[in-house]
Amino acid sequence: MKMLLPCLYAFLGCATFSVIFEEKRLRIILSCSATGFVAWLTYLLFGFLGASIRMQTVRYFLAAVVVALLSEMFARIHKSPATLFLTIGIIPLVPGAGIYYTMEALLNGSLSLFARRGLETAACAGAIAVGCSLVSSVFRMCSAARKSSALREE
Amino acid sequence: MTDTQRAERLLEFSGEMGKRLIKNGAEMYRVEESLQLILTAFGVHNVKVFAIPSIIMISFKLNDHLYAGQFRLKGNGINLERLEQLNALSRRICAGELTLEQAEGELAAILSRKRYPAAVSYVAFGIVAFLFTLFWGGTLPDAAIAFPCGLITKYTVTLAKRFQTNLFFSNVLSGCFSAVIPVLLGRFFPAVHTDMIIIGTIMLLVPGIAIANVMRDVLAGDTLTALTRLTEVLIVGVGVAVGIAIPLALSHTVL
Repeated sequence: MKMLLPCLYAFLGCATFSVIFEEKRLRIILSCSATGFVAWLTYLLFGFLGASIRMQTVRYFLAAVVVALLSEMFARIHKSPATLFLTIGIIPLVPGAGIYYTMEALLNGSLSLFARRGLETAACAGAIAVGCSLVSSVFRMCSAARKSSALREE
Repeated sequence: MTDTQRAERLLEFSGEMGKRLIKNGAEMYRVEESLQLILTAFGVHNVKVFAIPSIIMISFKLNDHLYAGQFRLKGNGINLERLEQLNALSRRICAGELTLEQAEGELAAILSRKRYPAAVSYVAFGIVAFLFTLFWGGTLPDAAIAFPCGLITKYTVTLAKRFQTNLFFSNVLSGCFSAVIPVLLGRFFPAVHTDMIIIGTIMLLVPGIAIANVMRDVLAGDTLTALTRLTEVLIVGVGVAVGIAIPLALSHTVL
């Protein structure tokens, strides 16, 4: 339950975010929110890896991979571009807290903490970026391969 | 219709289509690919399309004459519904279902579709701030404080758009004004978690999809686009941080 509650907030938050991004169809909104829900659930489920910065990065990476996979899946189900689901689903992973604590460290005049927080934030953002792009380029490769093999058959 | 007229209309149509796709958050290689397919479907040859976040260049051959056009882009506001409909439209054009006139009509219809009323958008901003404050571990009263901060964020974002300020300044403004209430309350009531409220609120500003798209663009070979997006991410991130730093620093020194 302790784990599910933040995921539920992520779900509802993503649903509201899809309204901000002008989405009107309920089934799309639900799928977008489900992506956000699973994103945070994945991050929490890999909590056993620990909270060190190395493991944090791995957790964000894994969560991003799951989000991207789910987006591609929903894209095929709803026959919509995957970007729709990715745009919303990635939101719970965005390191908003990282930006805040980095700034706070600088305000408090602690340069070493500032550098640490800043690098952590950058590492998390990087992990998210790599996770998403890996999945979408694999999917792109597959569809390109399918297209070229279809051409050969003709 | 003479060749020149047709070519001009094709340029106008594909330029508008590309502009809208990019503005609503489509990946760059997708945009180039779609425009290429659309123009080919309308029966022109040697189609060349080049798109980066700030410009689209299109050229093609119609009856051995070369036509070219450039379209400048500024700003963006993601509209997922529109993105999806533009995609569907381009798919139908590529399947050869539509003539140029019909396609132009469909595009105009998509662009004139109703958006959510401003009030809904305001409330949505408030609710997002509310929920993400809870999400980051804030208490219920914290979340209740975050709600008006979300409204303020929406107001400053709208204001910045109206005055066409640059990306950096608009984020500084939004970050600054949205953080005033939690900073003040946190100063007088120690039970208020200033950090959770601010973090929940800035979720509205931080560039989620841009972060994801940077690497996607790199891997797709659009390095120029990736650089632009990376710069955008940094500008927004630093802007928000500077914005919330203003009231925090003031409260440290003045109060």
